[in-house]
Amino acid sequence: MEPQGTALRHDALVYDSGDEWVELGAAFLRRGLEAGEGGVVAHTRQGLSLMREALGADASEVRFVDVSAAYTRPVRTLASYHAVYAEQLRRTPSLRAVADVQFGPDPGEWDLWTGYEAAFNRSFSHLPAWVLCTYATGSLPEAVREGVWRTHPGVVSGGTWTRSALFEEPERLLRGSSAARRPMQVLRPLPVVDGVEQFRELLARELVAERMPSARVLDMLLATSEVFVNAEQHGGGVVSIRVGRADGRFACEIVDRGAGFDDPLAGYLAPRPGVGAGLWVARQLTWCIDFFTSADGFTARIVM
Amino acid sequence: MTPVARLSPDEERDLVVAAELGDHEARRRLVEACLPAIVALAGTFRRTSRIERRELVQEGIAGLLLATRRFDPSLGTPFWAYASYWVRKAMQELVADLARPVALSDRAVRVLATVRAARADHLRQHGAEPTTEELSRSTGLPQAQIERLQAAERTPHSLEERVDQDGVAVATVGERIADPQAEWAFDDVLDDIEVGEVRALTDLLDDRERLVIRQHFGLDEPAQTLRGIATGLGVTAERVRQIEAGALAKLRASLARPAVAVPNET
Repeated sequence: MEPQGTALRHDALVYDSGDEWVELGAAFLRRGLEAGEGGVVAHTRQGLSLMREALGADASEVRFVDVSAAYTRPVRTLASYHAVYAEQLRRTPSLRAVADVQFGPDPGEWDLWTGYEAAFNRSFSHLPAWVLCTYATGSLPEAVREGVWRTHPGVVSGGTWTRSALFEEPERLLRGSSAARRPMQVLRPLPVVDGVEQFRELLARELVAERMPSARVLDMLLATSEVFVNAEQHGGGVVSIRVGRADGRFACEIVDRGAGFDDPLAGYLAPRPGVGAGLWVARQLTWCIDFFTSADGFTARIVM
Repeated sequence: MTPVARLSPDEERDLVVAAELGDHEARRRLVEACLPAIVALAGTFRRTSRIERRELVQEGIAGLLLATRRFDPSLGTPFWAYASYWVRKAMQELVADLARPVALSDRAVRVLATVRAARADHLRQHGAEPTTEELSRSTGLPQAQIERLQAAERTPHSLEERVDQDGVAVATVGERIADPQAEWAFDDVLDDIEVGEVRALTDLLDDRERLVIRQHFGLDEPAQTLRGIATGLGVTAERVRQIEAGALAKLRASLARPAVAVPNET
């Protein structure tokens, strides 16, 4: 059986009622099953129950994923989906997914999740998957609804598929929504050590002194090691290291001599041949990582 | 007034951040501070025959912990103002899932009869309740379908239903549910949730790798030099360094696995 495609197709379905979501979503999945594709439904428990009922006997061919607690930080959500898709793609040559995005109540975080949808286009661009992100129009604020059209090349609305005229290249959208960064003045300098092993020893002492839970110490050591090695190998060497608490979180800034890079998707691309996975790993393990150029040099800030 | 109003904004932020980082004591304090508000939110849901208040509160605590993992203090929103949305949403999900009218189709009724017959057979043969997996094997039905049918037919207990003791009505079901604010052991719920969600990366390591990582970086014990660890293990310091590097590489690889087979690789 031949795959239906070799690359991602990322569309949105905006719907007015649960009945519409179930009807269109189930039909979308069934067409895939008939063609030998795998099926994934990602929703809250209620949505999963409705879709399971609608699919009837076909439900046994579909993987159901409860996403109630999956939408925490964008890259962690991407990693969760990546794991689900990876498992499915070991069984079928391609897949179709119906995924409900969990926007929250705080307008301050809407850009973050719109950015997640933009990054999705690139993160899984290599996967033979057709993902239909679903949005209940009645409960969504205008800014989020507009974001749907900006982040999905195609949108199904009123039962009709439309190519989105508002779709923006993900890099452009992400650059437009990211805030300017500056070095944190509250951080204290650490000696610049020779090699990543010494750096880990030094940073471990700082993290333990900060009473960071052990599991998270290891997460931070892994994440910062990736950045440190990047700075040594591609940034001309580490110039300075600063650590400390800022806004309640432990932060580490690593400054290198290089010109840096301007890639808002760095660390958002799911692992694939030819693409380094270091920043993908580092982002999964931390609260956030920012890159910026300051008077000190090209700076990576890793926040736990 | 918010549940954590007795804390300063910085204290509230630090508590939420610590909870997000997996600090068990911080989670406990945060849940304790928010529990009255969670219970109050649970009280706003109409009582139905299918959902107990304890279940609502349990979902609410799960919603609160989700909120800690999303909450960004730099946005300036007070924590409870943010978290209450997720607490309520978690409760609504439970209500919607369990309180949906269950109207079994003719086909579902026939399937349910098959499940009941298989259960009866199993009881006769083994003298014990079958697991869902066993029912699935004997009926050929998916486990999820069996679980759904069993949930649909489970006998509802109304909170107002009288509970008899020796033939005398002594209380309602609702009255027998301990008051979470007073005596309900929410710790158990928190433990259950944490057991389900917390999986440290070190779980992926073998005993020796875990020991080297813990001793070298001082995780829950004083940090040691590679030479000191080597003496304890009876190997060279270089060997300890190799074990550590291998362990870190293993953890990294577990997070960086591609989804699809790499061309030209087996």
